[in-house]
Amino acid sequence: MKKHIEVNISHADLMSVASPGRYVGGETNVIIKNEILNELRTNGYTSAVRVAFGFPDVYEIGMSNLAMQILYKVLNEPEWCSCERAFSPWPDMDKVMRDKNIPLYTLETKSPLNEFDVVCFSIGYEMAYTNVLQMLDLGGVPLKSADRTEEDPIVVCGGPVAYNIEPMADFFDAVFMGEGEEVDLELAQMVKEYKDSGKKDRQELLRKLASIEGVYVPSLYKDEYDLEGHFIALKPIEDGIPTIITKRIIKDLDGIPYPTEPVVPNMSTVHNRAYIELFRGCIRGCRFCQAGYIYRPVREKSAQVLCDNGIAIEKSTGYDELGLLSLSTSDYRGLPELTDGLLKAYEGHHTSLSLPSLRIDNFAMELMNKISSTRKSGITFAPEAGTQRLRDVINKGITEEDILKSVRMIFEGGWSTVKLYFMLGLPTETMDDVKGIADLAIKIEDLYYDIAREKDIKVRRPEITISTSLFIPKPFTAFQWEAQDSIESLGEKQRYLKSLIQRHKSIHYNWHGFETSVWEAVLARGDRRMAPVILDGYKQGCIFDAWDDMFKYETWLQVLADNGLTVDQFIGAIDVDAPLAWDHINIGVTRKFLALERKRAYEETVTPNCREKCAGCGAACFKTGVCYE
Amino acid sequence: MSKKKYDERVLAMTKQQHLVHYVLRTRFARKGAVSYIGHLDLMNLFGRTVRKSGLPILYSQGFNPRPEMVFALPLGVGIDTEGDYVDISMSVPIQPEEFVEKMTPLMPEGLSIVSVVYKDEPKNSLMSVVTMAEYAIKAPGITECVKKIMEMEVVEVEKKAKGKIVTNDIRPQLLELHEDASLPDCVEVLVKAGSTSNLRPESLLQACTRYAGLDPEDASNAGVTRLCLYGGEYPNIKRIEEFT
Ligand code: SF4
Repeated sequence: MKKHIEVNISHADLMSVASPGRYVGGETNVIIKNEILNELRTNGYTSAVRVAFGFPDVYEIGMSNLAMQILYKVLNEPEWCSCERAFSPWPDMDKVMRDKNIPLYTLETKSPLNEFDVVCFSIGYEMAYTNVLQMLDLGGVPLKSADRTEEDPIVVCGGPVAYNIEPMADFFDAVFMGEGEEVDLELAQMVKEYKDSGKKDRQELLRKLASIEGVYVPSLYKDEYDLEGHFIALKPIEDGIPTIITKRIIKDLDGIPYPTEPVVPNMSTVHNRAYIELFRGCIRGCRFCQAGYIYRPVREKSAQVLCDNGIAIEKSTGYDELGLLSLSTSDYRGLPELTDGLLKAYEGHHTSLSLPSLRIDNFAMELMNKISSTRKSGITFAPEAGTQRLRDVINKGITEEDILKSVRMIFEGGWSTVKLYFMLGLPTETMDDVKGIADLAIKIEDLYYDIAREKDIKVRRPEITISTSLFIPKPFTAFQWEAQDSIESLGEKQRYLKSLIQRHKSIHYNWHGFETSVWEAVLARGDRRMAPVILDGYKQGCIFDAWDDMFKYETWLQVLADNGLTVDQFIGAIDVDAPLAWDHINIGVTRKFLALERKRAYEETVTPNCREKCAGCGAACFKTGVCYE
Repeated sequence: MSKKKYDERVLAMTKQQHLVHYVLRTRFARKGAVSYIGHLDLMNLFGRTVRKSGLPILYSQGFNPRPEMVFALPLGVGIDTEGDYVDISMSVPIQPEEFVEKMTPLMPEGLSIVSVVYKDEPKNSLMSVVTMAEYAIKAPGITECVKKIMEMEVVEVEKKAKGKIVTNDIRPQLLELHEDASLPDCVEVLVKAGSTSNLRPESLLQACTRYAGLDPEDASNAGVTRLCLYGGEYPNIKRIEEFT
């Protein structure tokens, strides 16, 4: 057991880096458990379980993450447990810390990561993997699970990437599948028993952790490949270890605590607003969308509870904006009741609501007129594909007519800014589909001038922005077997699209770099052979890969080749019957259903959403939510 | 309601209403973690805190209403203060006692209210009132260094402005030095501050390393506290509270 030390960063060091407010803590609503701190200061030791919650990106991003705020609250609830936060130091601070041997510390008690019992990461995107290694490394924690001893923390993670954590299998002692509110505490409880008995047998603890439902212990499994290098299986190395790990979900979202007193950063973050969570899951089932499958089934919170949350959170934070979070705001059935309640409660406070992914209809228009803040940002649509054919392929239940009807309402309401999101490289995509993107944007442009003429509105130039991201085949989607489009083909599509809108001054085009998407695809469908690659990349200086200007594609390709692997091995098409590196995880939605959805995609058949007609995806096994409405 | 109608209504409202500012001129202090945020972040932090108080704050007009607040002088990242000022407007008169009572328990760690006076519609903007600031600077041997600087006739320092490096003479901005013989590593200086002429403590520290042999490492580690802001014309120094 490591004795407690308090890390001290000098004023000069703080003044030498950008945004020193990232590294000092002292925020509103921060939780510091004084009894535990006193114990640490006097004895250098506490019997309580100490969890360091790491977010592998910069402070401003991490502090906008709802999962972290939720689990921070949950883990600080019991007397015998405490949770503190740590973030990735930006490269300037990373250098200061390495040069001066300053360990990465938590913001609450300034303790180095290696003195905690548990270090828990919330990982939202694959590109953050190297930052996990950076944080462990700076925190003095051995990077590989196999190298850790009883002296070291148990390193765990959760988040959407956990469903295929194989590329990071070497580095995590345990992984949470699904929602963490209950399973986090179950793990902490077991660690408490381990600590109480003097931390004797780490291996034994890991075996016990594997018995918790929803906890995956990678070191208890062994991967196998055939002679050509295809993945064949992942098998438990001993008896009594589960062959399938089923994700955990919260059945009743109203029944769990919600952080109505979240930590409010002193410095500005990406959003500067409070959040409430309307529901989890999505009824829609877009075939490319991982979130749409892994969070099934849809479970809603009641409008009453949400309204109470919204009132409490405004009081405790002072924020003047409340974000209503979900995958598809308009699918929340209590939306009118909730927004009415909140707007009434906020009257005179000038607190506004932010409603991302709101479908534009009469109700939405009325609502937007009541909320001033939507005016700043303009209105966004995500048709994802340019033609009806391709929208049917991806199961995006939205027609051109729907879009034009909504756009008409917006223009008539006096807005002139529209943002359109599309994906390039979707399965079955042709140049006609690419042209469809331009056609739709041009139709919207024409519509603006038509309406301006009809209604005698002073004609401004409308601002229509097309953004394209690139299709990335993700595990646990209907497209998990698909190949990623080649860089050459994507380049051609991008150039073609650009040429089609060139002469339209009110249409702007934003695109996303290809390389990052390729690498994301490699990580997303990678297996355990990727672990040494990630480690080597980190050693060669790759961190903050999610930041375009810091992403080093050449280095990654080199490191991949050095490890005897190729990009094509991971981004190529996978046989529908072939074993997958994530087959040992059960998300409720069955592999059979995903295969059926893939078949329907090629047949251009739409699957109705959960509320229209249950498609029998398998998630009903959790016995809750939309499946039982 | 269409956007056009909405715009018109807001415009009409703004024209009609002459909003009376019932001002609480608040002297505040900060130290510790909260000293490492920038001025804009500090303004937002104050904004959230008054919003939590439930006091009848006056909001600005327009599409993005915010609590009406005027800060006397921006406070740089890493600088502590014992005497900065902010005018916070209410829509009805509020007594300083009530304001202090409601605000004190809500103040973020490291940020505190020192004193408050009530001003009925101040005639001069708080920003235009400030002309001088007093700083305490702590660094090894700093007193001797500043003394040396004060004896010079011209003290040129370099400053980055709009991407270019410009040189200027800070000597006219240095007004007084207060030393305490028992504290050679701490000096108090009265300098010009405000919108017409403003000496930033970094410039003085830069001068000390350039002309008086202050160790650069010590300079970047120097602790700077703004002790107080003043108005008036030197040597006629007036307290900020006195201005109406
Ligand atoms: S089982 Fe049916 S209702 Fe439930 S999530 Fe799956 S498709 Fe939707």
